[in-house]
Amino acid sequence: MSRSPRLWSASGSAVILCALGLLVFSAFPFLWMASTAVKPPQEIFATPPVLWPSRFTLENLERLFGETKFLTYFRNSLTVSFAAVGLTLLFSVPAAYSLTRFRFPGRERIATVVLFTYMFAPIMIIIPFYVLVRFLGLANTHFGLVLAYTAFCLPFSMWMLRAFFQTIPVEIEQAALVDGANRLQAVIHVVLPLALPGVVATGIFTFILAWNDYIFARVLLSRDELKTLPIGIADLYNASVVDWGMIMAAGLLVIAPVLGVYVFIQKYLIAGWGAEGLKG
Amino acid sequence: MADQSVLSPSLPVPLSGAGRLHLSDAALGILLVTPAVLLLALLTLYPVLYGVWISFLNKHSFFPEQSFVWLSNYAAILRDPEFWASVRRGAVYSLSTIFLQIGLGVGVALLLNQHFPGRNILRAIVIFPYIVPTVVAVIIWKWLLNSQFGLVNHLIEAAGLVDQPISWMGRDWIMVSLVLVSVWQFFPFVVIGVLARLQTIPQELYEAATVDGANAAQRFLYVTLPQLKGVLFVIVLLRSIWMFTKFDTPWLMIQGGGAEVYIRTLPVYTYLRTFAYYEAGMGSAMAVLMFAALAAAASLYLRIWREEEA
Repeated sequence: MSRSPRLWSASGSAVILCALGLLVFSAFPFLWMASTAVKPPQEIFATPPVLWPSRFTLENLERLFGETKFLTYFRNSLTVSFAAVGLTLLFSVPAAYSLTRFRFPGRERIATVVLFTYMFAPIMIIIPFYVLVRFLGLANTHFGLVLAYTAFCLPFSMWMLRAFFQTIPVEIEQAALVDGANRLQAVIHVVLPLALPGVVATGIFTFILAWNDYIFARVLLSRDELKTLPIGIADLYNASVVDWGMIMAAGLLVIAPVLGVYVFIQKYLIAGWGAEGLKG
Repeated sequence: MADQSVLSPSLPVPLSGAGRLHLSDAALGILLVTPAVLLLALLTLYPVLYGVWISFLNKHSFFPEQSFVWLSNYAAILRDPEFWASVRRGAVYSLSTIFLQIGLGVGVALLLNQHFPGRNILRAIVIFPYIVPTVVAVIIWKWLLNSQFGLVNHLIEAAGLVDQPISWMGRDWIMVSLVLVSVWQFFPFVVIGVLARLQTIPQELYEAATVDGANAAQRFLYVTLPQLKGVLFVIVLLRSIWMFTKFDTPWLMIQGGGAEVYIRTLPVYTYLRTFAYYEAGMGSAMAVLMFAALAAAASLYLRIWREEEA
């Protein structure tokens, strides 16, 4: 390399400077939320604003738990999201396995249609979906919402799992069959252990989509005790004069589970795999 | 897995040498895939077709009354000035956010492809806003941009950039605020796609270009950009579809402000007609128009792309 050391350090510090700017842009809003959530109320509106609270307080959290149905919303979100993950995987794992291991008429067409439905945005199907759910008597039930998330997540889930199953050589399975295992045994003992990281990652993407969804829950649920977190918080925000400390505490708790699972999937995301799982 | 491009998952691999698995088991294969296909047909494809049917009806959103009205919903929409205004706002919103997301996303991906301490952590942090619930992204920014107590107004006033606090949720600025929140939330998608592709560009190409005397800008233009063309094509397509149909970010930004009409984009207006005015037929007709416009734009885009490739 013919570059002089001075040029190197100049471009090097430019990179560091840009990286710092980026860090502030991406991370600071979360930091500010966290700071507001643990500040005493009078400090929230202080001029000049303070980043580091003079004392850490749980007052905002106490109001959130005491005066709102936050815990109910949280439990609803957990129930619905886990049910959506279970149902989605129940349908998509066998389907993806089938699409990579068997040859039958229409196989490629199914894959294409799956990719096509993946491009649908919720606003384009929400109206007929709503009418359908009401017709089935599932409006204002968590089951209706779980069905919505399953339908919405199934295309990408099948697509991701198919890509994952394709990386597992058929020969391994054949070897197990030759050794006298039946197909079910071969799948359970040979294929699933190898596919497990992909199944877990796909499940996490489904969880995040269900956990974050606003529009389906808004349209399909109206009873307060059934609401999930995104609509619960949106309604809390709209209900009266905004209690910023309490709202920020709520926001912090809502992203906590997402942050928890993010640790597991971020390596997939950075490698570029699985990004298609998160449409938004 | 790392070399698999994000947005173009691998094509089906022919299962060579697996003869005995296929033929006798075709029935089992169909059996395994059928539940998923049925569920998709019932809960996605059927609603889409049913939505087209509803668009020909004068239908209340809750009550069962309905009557067939041919194309009069469409005729009414095309005469509705608010429809066209919402199309314009939606176009402003989606075009500006797409443009900014792609520009920022490519730049950030190039940065995150450099070597510097803390790179992996920064990569994880940059992607994070993309996976938080929209409602959280919106309330964080509503707090930051609060006209009275917001940190942003405080900082720009302290820096002497403005004399008066800016009313970020007021009519003059709400579109800007909405674009800012959306870009912050969605540019990581571009980063993910581009960064994955950057990691697969062979280093030799850069070395050869450097030997030939190309500077950094030339290396970007003649080595990096041609390699990114494919992934950018897919990213632009997906981001356009999703920004054009984006509902929750503008809708949640609208809440609790007086300036909601200035960011009432087409998806928001569709939602309002259906769930605030209870006109399911009108709402469906707008959704169908949205879908048709997107399908037309996407096929035109694909054709241009193919000609470019040929």
